Amino acid sequence: MYKAQHFEKYNLLNGVWDEMYNENSIVRDHYKKVIEYLALESPDDLNKKEELAKRLFMTQGITFTVYNSGEGIEKIFPFDIIPRIITAEEWAFVEKGIKQRLTALNLFLKDIYHNQFIIKDGIVPIDIVYSCPHFLREMYQLDVPYDVYVHIAGIDLIRDHDGTFYVLEDNLRTPSGVSYMLENREITKRLFPDLLPNCAVRSVTEYPSILYKNLLSLSPRQISNPTIVLLSPGIYNSAYFEHTTLARLMGVELVEGRDLVVNNHKVYMKTTTGLQQVDVIYRRVDDEFLDPLVFNPNSVLGVAGLMGAYRKGNVAIVNAIGNGVADDKATYIYVPDMIKYYLNEEPILKNVPTHRLSNPDEREHVFKNINKMVVKKTNESGGYGMLMGHASTEEEIEKYKLEILKEPRNFIAQPTISLSAAPCYIGGILQPRRIDLRPYALCGPDGIQIVPGGLTRVALTEGSLVVNSSQGGGSKDTWVLA
Amino acid sequence: MLSRVAASFYWLSRYIERSDGILRMLKINYASSQDSVAGFTWEPVIQIFSGPDEGLIEKLKNDSRAVLKYMVVDKENTNSILNIITLARENARSVQEHIPKDLWQCLNEYYHTVKEPKIASALKKEDPIGILDVLIKQVMLYYGTAEITMERGQARSFMNIGKYLERAIQSIDILDIKYGPTNNNPNLLTDITYWKHLLQSIGGYELYQKTYRDGLEAQNVIEQIILNNDFPRSVIYSVNNIQRYFDRLKNNSNVNDYREISFHIGKLQSNIKYSSVKSIGQVGLHEFLTQIKDDLYQIGNSLNEYYFANS
Repeated sequence: MYKAQHFEKYNLLNGVWDEMYNENSIVRDHYKKVIEYLALESPDDLNKKEELAKRLFMTQGITFTVYNSGEGIEKIFPFDIIPRIITAEEWAFVEKGIKQRLTALNLFLKDIYHNQFIIKDGIVPIDIVYSCPHFLREMYQLDVPYDVYVHIAGIDLIRDHDGTFYVLEDNLRTPSGVSYMLENREITKRLFPDLLPNCAVRSVTEYPSILYKNLLSLSPRQISNPTIVLLSPGIYNSAYFEHTTLARLMGVELVEGRDLVVNNHKVYMKTTTGLQQVDVIYRRVDDEFLDPLVFNPNSVLGVAGLMGAYRKGNVAIVNAIGNGVADDKATYIYVPDMIKYYLNEEPILKNVPTHRLSNPDEREHVFKNINKMVVKKTNESGGYGMLMGHASTEEEIEKYKLEILKEPRNFIAQPTISLSAAPCYIGGILQPRRIDLRPYALCGPDGIQIVPGGLTRVALTEGSLVVNSSQGGGSKDTWVLA
Repeated sequence: MLSRVAASFYWLSRYIERSDGILRMLKINYASSQDSVAGFTWEPVIQIFSGPDEGLIEKLKNDSRAVLKYMVVDKENTNSILNIITLARENARSVQEHIPKDLWQCLNEYYHTVKEPKIASALKKEDPIGILDVLIKQVMLYYGTAEITMERGQARSFMNIGKYLERAIQSIDILDIKYGPTNNNPNLLTDITYWKHLLQSIGGYELYQKTYRDGLEAQNVIEQIILNNDFPRSVIYSVNNIQRYFDRLKNNSNVNDYREISFHIGKLQSNIKYSSVKSIGQVGLHEFLTQIKDDLYQIGNSLNEYYFANS
């Protein structure tokens, strides 16, 4: 172990993969340069860097909103100054795995909304698809440009005790967090001058231009300057900062539902010079709020008639509508089978073993071993509605069980995966905390591109396994080495 | 440009200008409250920004610290600096991607400065002028940054229209309310300190000294505040600028809508330009100012209808 003051008390967690130390408490090669740099800094210097990071986030307004009892409170997304480092080999593996998985998921969506071969061939059970609330009949037999449904995917990865990568969930609807990938890097540049080039860290700045290029290619009108907009629910949305950042970086207009209007199956935005036709919508509004005429009639976030314009092919929507059927946690179980079925390949990235609670045998097994299980709702995200077996009281478990029995289809269970740990600077010393990884994959007409990096989320509370920002998680800059 | 975005720029700017006006006025009025043997009252200030609420005026009019707290950090007061800046920031937040990052950071810092608990406690215990200066500096930083970083396009035009509209309304209100009491108390017309404070509160005292060598007189003060082309807080200067920035929207506007508002602004401009202190006196100062204010509101409403798509 290292001999600087702030390294002394680093307690390796038992049975947990540590990103920095190997099992003999020796620093892994790819962390060496950073550790040498940190060892030369006094805790005082590091405290100052932490302060600087906080101040930069605050003055730049990089904040999100948490809604508690009806009142919105603006917070900084907690940021840990120590970067998480991924080697070139690890990244090459992850990149290949995500590309394979995303290719299969896109094929699945096309299939499921057209011929449904995968159901007819008995690979995916019909009830999984038809009982999913995100399976939308409105999408049936609708062709989307280049057969791409998932233009932006945020696939969550975790590492088990031996360092193996697992896919925790596929986020194929409106995955968020990419602005933090970009901002964290900007902050790190300020905190550790020269360290990034010295370590040969690959750049992530290309993300907005790749996304922009993809959006441009989707325009239904063949004109030189199509109108691309980013549709946001508005400033009270917790991800609003991200929406403005992306709009700014791509140079596209940020709109809200009230800025748009549909006339004769075409979408227009209201400008100071009259109506202007919109060609591509990168929407950050969920399916059910997009069009009050088709989905939730009480929604004011969407645009009346949008679905009609979409079906006519007069506007491209990104991500496609109805993707939820593919990232539903019950569908997740079948993704390895999809890869084999559509691509005739062995899955590169593993799934976490998952039990369907609608199956009585599996349910019984889960109930027996509930202390070693995590139970999740199939259509919730953000860490809501979860039961962590090992950390719950008898009473909570019983209550949850009753809920499961009411609607077993809505639940899955997974064995508690330990999640790898990375060093964080907390309270003046380095301490291990659990992390995950969300790389952002962009799918356009020319294939899938993944910027080398992503969002590393970290469970800042000691012993916690929940990394979601809405549940007290933070983030780190994520380095992929060249 | 999106109608909603244009509206946000306009309102952002109005709120910033309002906060600037309020801070400067508080500073001078506080100074004069320390400089008068008897009879200083905050009544006009409270009236301008909170309306004729008798109970409130009675409670606050002789308590400088309480007024400062009420006007700067009180959450219940819709026109407190805290609330105004929160609104300005909300507007800016919704158009973040159109604002230079530097400017957004400036505004954000202004907001966080006002929110700091030590501002409230310092207003109570320390030198209030120092605190007001800290805040005024934030506004000046904002204006400087806007001047240097804002692209010379539509957004800036809407911002400046909002700014000068707000400024004109403020100058009118301040003059109107200060002049009111002279009806019952003609002695005030020649009270030097009375007019000096008015001029100082809108930053026009030095200019006055240079222009009128023969001491302070109500007639000259009125002339400067309404008709002086070189005084950046005069009504005519503000209206000229509204006209100037509105003119720049010409090329990217619907011609009919543009013409209608342009006509209205031009008419208002001429009305002021071809007035004199004497002719204003014949109409009555209060009536004259009310008419101009109505016209300004009318212009605001037309913008709202034709450019911001809120009808």
